Amino acid sequence: MNRTLPQSILLYTTLVVVICILLFPVYWMVITSLAPSNALRSFPPQFWPQNPQWQTYTNLIFNTDMPRWLMNSALVAVVATGISMLVSVLAAYSLSRYTMKGGEAVGLFILMSKMLPATMLIIPLFGIFRNLGLMGSLWSLIIAHATAIVPFATWMLKGYFDSIPQELEQAAQVDGCTPWGALFRVILPVSAPGLAATALYGFVLSWADYLYARTFLANAAGNWTANVGIATFKGEYQTDWNVIMAASLLAALPIMIAYLFLQRYLVGGLTAGAGK
Amino acid sequence: MSELSQSRTAVAAPRRSSGLFGIDLASPKHANKLGYLLLAPAALLILAILVYPMLLAIDISFHDVKFATLSFGASEYTLANYQKLFSSPDFWNAIRVTGQLLLVVTTISMAVGMGTALLVNQQFRGRSFARMLIALPWAIPEVVAVVTWVWILDASFGVLNWILIKIGLVGGPVSWFSSPGTAFSAVTMVMVWKGYPFISIMILAGLQSIPEEYYQAAKVDGANVFQRFFWVTIPCIAPVLGVTLILTVLWVFRDFSIIYVLTGGGPVGATETLAIMTYEEAFNFFRMGYASSIGVVTLIICAVISAFLVKKTSHAIY
Repeated sequence: MNRTLPQSILLYTTLVVVICILLFPVYWMVITSLAPSNALRSFPPQFWPQNPQWQTYTNLIFNTDMPRWLMNSALVAVVATGISMLVSVLAAYSLSRYTMKGGEAVGLFILMSKMLPATMLIIPLFGIFRNLGLMGSLWSLIIAHATAIVPFATWMLKGYFDSIPQELEQAAQVDGCTPWGALFRVILPVSAPGLAATALYGFVLSWADYLYARTFLANAAGNWTANVGIATFKGEYQTDWNVIMAASLLAALPIMIAYLFLQRYLVGGLTAGAGK
Repeated sequence: MSELSQSRTAVAAPRRSSGLFGIDLASPKHANKLGYLLLAPAALLILAILVYPMLLAIDISFHDVKFATLSFGASEYTLANYQKLFSSPDFWNAIRVTGQLLLVVTTISMAVGMGTALLVNQQFRGRSFARMLIALPWAIPEVVAVVTWVWILDASFGVLNWILIKIGLVGGPVSWFSSPGTAFSAVTMVMVWKGYPFISIMILAGLQSIPEEYYQAAKVDGANVFQRFFWVTIPCIAPVLGVTLILTVLWVFRDFSIIYVLTGGGPVGATETLAIMTYEEAFNFFRMGYASSIGVVTLIICAVISAFLVKKTSHAIY
């Protein structure tokens, strides 16, 4: 594409302005977290910290429950995603490759379940978990998150498997692979980007949850996730915005880093699931 | 297609047949058994953690269930919850708020998503970096986004008030969360900020799938930028737009975290959507049966909207 100089300048200016506006909250989170607390109650606000206060972070890491909450978030997200991926990969492969009685119905239900309001689902889950004595335990959260991840992952992976030609397994079987072998040694390695993107999305879904965590873990502060902790910080330290912003940044960081690495696959994966 | 693959499998299979439970899964006779076997774990899990709870919720909505008794068939069936719901002004208020939010948030975030997608679809140096930055808010957890915005919108020391006063848009600091109109705007701002990146990602992927030749052909025919946008771009990405619209609508309809942490549904119910009302009734007032009936109504509305949109957008494609 050939562009004249004024056109290029216009394009880049628009880009910079748009990105600055849209990412301002992220910038503001970083700047606030480094500001000394007295600077937060001054007008005009400081747009660049004159002397960054790194001890806000060390304080948060060594003197609060924040690291523990982050660990809980990570633990729940990894286990919930792991279990969900295990069953979803098999189900998605089955839905993609086999024509079975009832298979279509299962596929349709999975799609429909995306419509279930979580605020409704949480009512029976609350009763069930209480009867099972799971209230306050991280398992309640893992199961609740699987209700969202399994349908999503199955649908997204089905789209991915659909895009892989069947000839690949047939070739593998001609070479002596069993159907299992064809799935594990040929199809799964080929769909590694799709698997990674799906798992990342599952991790994000779990990590971002607030509804289930605040309801099931309300009376078990030791098991809180990062999001519950931050929402509580907001109530407790109402004016210590540097502390709240530092905690927020720590909670956002894992997802942001994962996003940077897997962004291109994520785009491919999302569209694979959506094209159907 | 499946016949073809089965006959090919038949030729291929007999070489090595390890089998599971003594069944030779590679043979065409049992090919579908493997399919069922692979599907079974997910089907059982979904049955246990989605279907059963959903049926339980529907059952609860027909009972007078309080906090203490939460099991199947606890008491007599009754329509009392639904009668109470449809005669409650709070319910109609929640319907109105949800509808308004749906309209405003969906429109603005679709516009921002479309605009940003078109922008980073241009060819320029550093394009992939720009694409990454544009969709970055996608990677910020909702609670974190809300807490950050609460600070930005702070009445006394918030940076937005400072900017607005500096530009001269407002005379004095706006107390965002104390009046219905500004609280609704605050919810809209945060939801748009969290919602547009997904839309942008989806539309960008749609734009990339349009063959360059279409635009060249349109140019040859003398179409200007706007004509090319309305007659080439829009029809080509209509399916993607449809799916994106449905997913965005469903998200706004059911989102809990953003509104709950930002305003808690207030002031005076100005931001109380059906999702917030369901949660409040269930876990603040412990009226589980009543809350479930709101959930069931939400579910039905969601299903109707999606069915309608699916129909609409599939018309738009052909």
